[in-house]
Amino acid sequence: MEQHENLEPPQRRSFLGVLSGLIAGGIGAVLTATIGRFALEPALTAAANDDKWTDIGALTDLEEGKLVKKNIIVAQDAGWGRFESQRSVWVVRKGESVQLFTAVCPHLGCSVSAQAEKFVCACHGSYWDANGKRTAGPSPRDLDALEHRVEGGKVQVRYQNFRQGIEKKEVMA
Amino acid sequence: MADNSSIFSKAYDWLDERTGIKEITHELLDEPIRGGARWAYVLGSALLFIFSIQVVTGIFLTMYYVPSADHAHASVAYIQKVVPGGWLLRGLHHYGSSAMVIMVVAHLAQTFLFGAYKGKREILWIAGVGMMLIVFAFGFTGYLLAWDQAAYFGTKVGTSIAGEAPVIGPIQQRIMQGGTDLTTITLSRFFMTHVFLLPLGLAGLAALHLFLFRKATPAGPYHEKDNHKTERFYPGQVFKDSVAMAIVFGILVLLSWKLPAELGPMADPSSDYLARPPWYFMPLFQLLKYFPGQLAIIPAFVLPGLLFGALFLLPFLDKRAERNPFKRPIATGLLVLVIGGAIGLMALAKYEDNHNPDFKAKLEAQEKENEEFFKKPFEPQIIGGTGAAATGALAKVAEPPAAYLENCASCHGDHGEGAAVFPALIGLSAKPQRTQDDLYKILVDAAPYGLKAPMPASFPDIKDEDKKKIAEWLASLKK
Repeated sequence: MEQHENLEPPQRRSFLGVLSGLIAGGIGAVLTATIGRFALEPALTAAANDDKWTDIGALTDLEEGKLVKKNIIVAQDAGWGRFESQRSVWVVRKGESVQLFTAVCPHLGCSVSAQAEKFVCACHGSYWDANGKRTAGPSPRDLDALEHRVEGGKVQVRYQNFRQGIEKKEVMA
Repeated sequence: MADNSSIFSKAYDWLDERTGIKEITHELLDEPIRGGARWAYVLGSALLFIFSIQVVTGIFLTMYYVPSADHAHASVAYIQKVVPGGWLLRGLHHYGSSAMVIMVVAHLAQTFLFGAYKGKREILWIAGVGMMLIVFAFGFTGYLLAWDQAAYFGTKVGTSIAGEAPVIGPIQQRIMQGGTDLTTITLSRFFMTHVFLLPLGLAGLAALHLFLFRKATPAGPYHEKDNHKTERFYPGQVFKDSVAMAIVFGILVLLSWKLPAELGPMADPSSDYLARPPWYFMPLFQLLKYFPGQLAIIPAFVLPGLLFGALFLLPFLDKRAERNPFKRPIATGLLVLVIGGAIGLMALAKYEDNHNPDFKAKLEAQEKENEEFFKKPFEPQIIGGTGAAATGALAKVAEPPAAYLENCASCHGDHGEGAAVFPALIGLSAKPQRTQDDLYKILVDAAPYGLKAPMPASFPDIKDEDKKKIAEWLASLKK
């Protein structure tokens, strides 16, 4: 240290220190608040994409009791883009109504297919009957039925994603 | 202070025993400053502060930014127009880049003017000049990332200039572009350079610069009369540095708010957009007008090469001890000439744009287009599904036979598009040993074709006529 040191009086020293701290704190607060909103708000306010009814075809085109796979387009709003991806559903006509299941296996999310009059997931060997009731294999529950309606002769579905691997059917939100 | 041994000082002692924080704090804050704290010394700290702002805002901008020519512009528009606080983070980053350039030039000019690079400070100075080059590289690579008209055409000119370098030009341009044209691959490498290589380089050099600065100690005033007194870094200089940071931050916030960072319409390579570089490349831009054809290498490479060559070698060229700018007329004169010349060229470029009726009208029309795009509410980019991209590909495909849907589709997709680990079947028949006849034989017995599990070796459940239908359909799936 040099001999001719000009030491600040202690009061001035702490006063300048506090002022510097306030400036740093202020800048930090503005940045933290901005970044917090930037990073979190879009994640917390994004609406689920399951409020739309999607047409899957005319009821009369479906054969009574037959397991039919239909592809639908699901819109997904994700940040800067509106993505449209294909999803599969299984539909079985029951008179003037239908049974409608997602083709996503409740076990671990593989694709469910149909063989003869039963549903199969070939990934890990889960089986369901034509009503979606679990009959064998590791799936923790029945096939997940989707909300649907018949409007003006058209079958419509509200596509949703469900949590996998649990006994209770629970919408992913 | 014994009565003051509160829980805080106990905690501080506890921390100190484990980290040596008291020694570190002492090292950082009690550095002696020859001649005392001064407003003139805030530029280096302000530069480091702006760089920190760039790092923090840059990291968070990548949370939404997509470095692809197809989506970059949409993602930037989303950040600017929709994400809460996005306009401020992007504004800080945008104006921060200009602030970096201004501050690095100011810091260097002051060091030069006050002769503070003298006296065993050669490496310290060279690291500083290297950082100035990196700051310009940051500006050049960052400018492209928004992928709007200005970004695309500005970078087009920039890479073309690189291509005019003697001997290595064409190769250099290819390496910069990642090919023969400015494409999404160019954007990827500019992004990678901008967010990984340059920050690492700058942080490394800054650490070296600070270390050598502390080792060399501050040069102090160039005149002897104040040199007898010394003051510690804290609190006087810390306070002055903090005020400088507050002013810089305030200006950046104000600019981002009142004059939001620009974003024009998405790049359209077929348009006749009139390219203009960011302001700090304007002197180079103006000089290029005076050197036609092959002579362009003079402003593009020879002059900058001489300037930076001289800057790098400065401590070896000027070994006199004299630091007073008034007693170093050549050095001071050169500085005034270079900075004055650069500002003059910028002004001249602006003047010519404003007084050439052809350019003026075009530039004003572009400005208007930019403003209109900027004011338009954000529209999400439509991707896939019923959009042209996906239906275009899928519509050409004939409907698959029922037997395919029942037996094959759950892995290979309803249209043979494949999924995750399951291979796509589209274009399969173009491969060797995959004619329609081969495909039928595979369905009868896959073993001779050497297919691996989990693809089953045979399909006893599928009727022979269905196998033929599947093979026929698969053979029709052309890429």
